[in-house]
Amino acid sequence: MNENTVFVKTYRENEILPVTTSEVWRYAGFLGDSSEIDGELKRTFEEMQNEIGGIFSYKVCYRQMKIADEKEKQTLPFLEGSKALSKLLKDCGEIIIFAATVGLEIDRYISKQQRISPVKALLSNAYGAERIENLCDTFCVDIKMQIQSENRFITRRFSPGYGDFPLESQKEMFALLDPNRQIGVSLNESLLMSPSKSVTAVMGIKNEKCESTSANKCNECSNKNCEFRKQET
Amino acid sequence: MNILEYMKQDFVRLDGGMGTMLQKSGLMPGELPERWNITHPEKITDIHRQYYDAGANIVNANTFGANCLKFSDEELEEIIKAAVQNAEKARNESRGTQEKFIALDIGPLGRLLKPYGDFDFDDAVKCYAKTVKIGAKYGVDLIFIETMNDSLDTKAAVLAAKENSNLPVFVSNAYGEDGCLMTGASPAAMVAMLEGLGVDAIGANCSLGPAELRGVVSEYLKYSSLPVLLKPNAGLPKSVDGKTVYDVLPEEFSDIMQTYINDGIRIFGGCCGTNPEYIRKTVQKAKNITPKPVTDKNITMVSSYTHAVLFEKTPVLIGERINPTGKKLFKEALRNNDIDYILNEGLKQQEKGVHILDVNVGLPEIDEKAMLEKVCFELQSIIDLPLQIDTTNVDAMESALRHYNGKAMINSVNGKEENMREIFPLVKKYGGLVVCLTLDENGIPETAEKRVEIATKIISTANEYGISKKDLIFDTLAMTVSADNNSAVATLSALNTIKNELKCHTSLGVSNVSFGLPHRDILNGAFFTLALENGLSAAIMNPNSNEMMKSYYAFKALKGLDENCTDFIENIEKYAVSQSSATANSPVDENLLDAESELQRAVVKGLKDKAANITALLLENTNPLEIVNSQIIPALDIVGKGFENKTMYLPQLLMSAEAASAAFEKIKIKMKENPTETVSKGKFVIATVKGDIHDIGKNIVKLILENYGFDVYDLGKDVPPEKIVEEALRTNTRLVGLSALMTTTVPAMAETIKQLREKAPYVKVIVGGAVLTQEYADSIGADFYAKDAMETVRYSLETVEKSTT
Repeated sequence: MNENTVFVKTYRENEILPVTTSEVWRYAGFLGDSSEIDGELKRTFEEMQNEIGGIFSYKVCYRQMKIADEKEKQTLPFLEGSKALSKLLKDCGEIIIFAATVGLEIDRYISKQQRISPVKALLSNAYGAERIENLCDTFCVDIKMQIQSENRFITRRFSPGYGDFPLESQKEMFALLDPNRQIGVSLNESLLMSPSKSVTAVMGIKNEKCESTSANKCNECSNKNCEFRKQET
Repeated sequence: MNILEYMKQDFVRLDGGMGTMLQKSGLMPGELPERWNITHPEKITDIHRQYYDAGANIVNANTFGANCLKFSDEELEEIIKAAVQNAEKARNESRGTQEKFIALDIGPLGRLLKPYGDFDFDDAVKCYAKTVKIGAKYGVDLIFIETMNDSLDTKAAVLAAKENSNLPVFVSNAYGEDGCLMTGASPAAMVAMLEGLGVDAIGANCSLGPAELRGVVSEYLKYSSLPVLLKPNAGLPKSVDGKTVYDVLPEEFSDIMQTYINDGIRIFGGCCGTNPEYIRKTVQKAKNITPKPVTDKNITMVSSYTHAVLFEKTPVLIGERINPTGKKLFKEALRNNDIDYILNEGLKQQEKGVHILDVNVGLPEIDEKAMLEKVCFELQSIIDLPLQIDTTNVDAMESALRHYNGKAMINSVNGKEENMREIFPLVKKYGGLVVCLTLDENGIPETAEKRVEIATKIISTANEYGISKKDLIFDTLAMTVSADNNSAVATLSALNTIKNELKCHTSLGVSNVSFGLPHRDILNGAFFTLALENGLSAAIMNPNSNEMMKSYYAFKALKGLDENCTDFIENIEKYAVSQSSATANSPVDENLLDAESELQRAVVKGLKDKAANITALLLENTNPLEIVNSQIIPALDIVGKGFENKTMYLPQLLMSAEAASAAFEKIKIKMKENPTETVSKGKFVIATVKGDIHDIGKNIVKLILENYGFDVYDLGKDVPPEKIVEEALRTNTRLVGLSALMTTTVPAMAETIKQLREKAPYVKVIVGGAVLTQEYADSIGADFYAKDAMETVRYSLETVEKSTT
């Protein structure tokens, strides 16, 4: 992969894993057993799901970069900013950085529902969150296969704002990826992305198989009081 | 020779990719290419020269990202100056003999505009203006706005270009695989808006290869009366053996471009991945083709941020309900700044199937300019219909047109000289389809002939301003037949002549015809059909009128405008019942044995319609306050407790809140009859702080507070501290709730609290939001940290109780 090029990958709906409804409910603040939801609430969810059918536009732009020596690292100043990231990228000679989005239409739908049905606004917001996470998962699997075919391995993804990886690094991520031009994602002054259902992240590439990190990504997070925190297993 | 004169005679050949060429020359990842104008002028000049040598008439100076968000004013000037010099040097050195021009290249600022981003439209115009002024100063031949993926951002750049230079303006947008811009606009919508803004050439570039742009190109050629330009990518980048290659090679690229040139594009070049070879080949293949003339398509259209509405044979419905005239509740909503009420009027009409929304918010006691701009902005955040801006206040009209995302309808101009002098310059500058009333200094003529005369005068005056007939739509003024039996005849006759002899489009405020008569709907429906038969293009109407909707669908079916009568069959059922029997058929079971506990149950279960219906029933013989206190509040308490005990979760809490709101709607109407009674617990000002555009959580809190009887003043999102203080003082509230979702916006929350402490020390400040914690809240001096909506309610109720005892 040429490291001077930003590549764009567009996914069709059927290339993304189907929606995990229980995750949507969890994002919406339903912490009980979502399979028990019935009646009006279930009907509202289904109606919402119908209304947003086909509005997602799944896009990722990414770039592969070497970080083997000091000179190469100079173009990636954010590598210094976070201990957790440094730890993750230990022994990595290259990284992949990416930006992903499911598009602006879901933001429009959420906004409209804020005026009509707050429940649908809440549920569609959660649905969008599930979709972007799922897109990132799909993309990471693709990259993993590709890297494995070169007999190398990939770390999990890490985003600005996770742990001690400063949100400020978004600026550098944007300078490297130009996601506004590539996939229509922009960064505002508060370092917030538009469309809102967008993600940027870094992954490392190693020659050795990565230590099996915990499957529960909540374990990495320092916010121990978060009510969405998944129990350690 | 001037580029515009040159363009009339021949194709205009553009350059190819700059970024890919720079990377080959050693541009580092993350490095700003515009700085190379100063640090590596020889390399920039060399790339330009290669494009001129390949046959380009226009090269874009290396100023794509040269804007004041990326560079200081001083550096910006240095960069643009050097960029133009580099291009001039290349022009002098090139051995090409063709005409050569230099364009100031303007790309997007990279910030999404409000409402979905946080960047202000006026700031965007200012920012682009700086670049334009410097470019004009150093002598570019034209301005080339390109790769724009948002319609409103495009408009900001065009206005900046037109307001700060006299240079020709070319505009090129970046379309996705779905054939729309990232923010949703179709090619037809862009054609409508950009023709309206008076640019010189339009088209598409970047994001896709030439083959994938076929749909976009054919739309442009179909709708555009301006020369069409095309600058595609060399397909998609692929990695082959560690090297980047684009998958469309020069031969294939130029072959496809040749087909487009045959189809009628006049201006062509390449974008990402193309190099001088692509341009050379394309120029060669165009050599023996005679340029297709650019013709006036004579299409009347308006647009929203997504699509264009065309005025053709099918009648266009313009919803009239956003208008305070004769509507008590609407007036009250305007006075209270209740935007939700107004938006709901828009949503309801959209549901009914209108194509355009008329927007009139004129009321003597309010600031109409600010209100109109605000309402148009909010409507355009959630409704994708084009708007008809309806005001007699010229200032308000201008600011609404300036900020409108698309090409609006303008309501209205008339035959008075002074009125035309005020309105036509706005139409010329911002674009628009303007409703022309056939009246003048002498009032409304009685005869059809005189109305047609006025129309003729309006056409010729518009022409003097450079506004063509296709952007005028004539209203021959429907007047009530109860005052003058022949008035409808005159209106229809004038309409017929204007449509068929003057060849202009027409519209009418249909329902005026029946004023003062019983069963107006029946007359309106019949008049509508007659008007359509006489050539009515558009009706300003009430889509809640069954008779009007019947006429509309029947007319379309009878005139061959509804293939297989599909629309008729699909829609007519709703209107087939007469209105009086429709309302009598209430879905509520009148024999409810225990309506009271039913209401509680409906709220707890989140059954919106049921809650509203039972409340309406109970209100017939129960005091509204009684219903609130003994039914709704206890139901909300059940849910609230369930939420706090984690046996119910947020989605269920909200379902109940929505059901309670539906019940409150009925209660409020009843209570208006007896204004001394109140359910109000007090006032509450709420906002998402500056810099933050998350508002789902804030809106949830607002809804629950309203359920518990608070008068909530919602300032929305991204609200500056000053505005929150101002509203706290204005409303004299004791409670202010602030929301922030990002660590980066908590400082804005701290600043807001500081200012509130200074100006309104008696106010209790409640804070909430994903990143907040008790410690955080303490450190910024908040009175209370609320983990969720229920905690906010509990604290607010306690505070109110304390202050009253």
